Amino acid sequence: MSLKHNPALEHDSVQRTQMLKGLAELALLSLLDEEACYGLEILERLRSDAGLQLAEGAVYPLLHRLEKSGWTAAEWRLDPQNGRPRKYYAITDAGREELRAQRASWSEMSSRLTHFLERRVRP
Amino acid sequence: MTDQAELERWLSRLGWALGHLPVRERDDIVRETRSHIEDRMASGGSVQQVLSEFGPAERHARRFVDEIEAYEALGSQRAGDLARFVANRAHRSVGAAIALLALILLAILAGVIVLVVALKIFDPVHAGLWVGPGTAFIGVIDDPASARELLGLWLFPSAAVVLTLIFIAGRLLLSSVVPWMAPRRGRPPTGPG
Repeated sequence: MSLKHNPALEHDSVQRTQMLKGLAELALLSLLDEEACYGLEILERLRSDAGLQLAEGAVYPLLHRLEKSGWTAAEWRLDPQNGRPRKYYAITDAGREELRAQRASWSEMSSRLTHFLERRVRP
Repeated sequence: MTDQAELERWLSRLGWALGHLPVRERDDIVRETRSHIEDRMASGGSVQQVLSEFGPAERHARRFVDEIEAYEALGSQRAGDLARFVANRAHRSVGAAIALLALILLAILAGVIVLVVALKIFDPVHAGLWVGPGTAFIGVIDDPASARELLGLWLFPSAAVVLTLIFIAGRLLLSSVVPWMAPRRGRPPTGPG
């Protein structure tokens, strides 16, 4: 397998990463709006349900920032089945407000983009 | 090296790389990462496989540091925090390096102006904005008869105006480049955090 440096691919990857981070934040807040979850559970659900192919540890810095922002609150709980400690995150009122704002912004952006992309399809 | 020893080594490197965070925050990150890795291992993953998916401990730590620095700089909007954020990225981002260079030039210009103002107070005869045959500069002249000083006491209000403009230019530069360089490009966090 070639490991040659490819600036175009790297730029593409950086752009994709930036876009993923914005979407991951929205999807994560939406997930926590349903129920409190811990990191690995969040990662798995963002991958399987939201289709976001996040790197293994990528969700934790984001969770950390959301907690600092006051959009989520976290607490350590012991898993009743195996006794392992897990840090659960729950959305706060400020987080719900942020989710509403981000959801509205995303809906507007995606509908405008869809409209734009379909302009040549219409007769 | 056993699996447990390898995990402990990776986690201690993570803790070390998060060194400048408060101890409680750092311990919390390490504990949460350990919990994640142990969950993966309990579902059948090998420690090598899980750690390779995380990548080097230093890189994982860098993601946290980047998020926290961006959050704090954008949240506080203080010139010092924003400038520190840019300076910490100058060695791995061309944009940050250029912004830092521009900030340094602005700081040097501001320093020269402050110095000339101070000299004007203590040595008003030799300090000022001088124009003579083939020369024009702001600073101190050896022979005041060889050139003409243009500003006189207007040097003080002029310096105040220029220093204000330099400050505004620096703030504008920082306010535009920091959101662009932050891990997530978007509006800054506004929570109470």
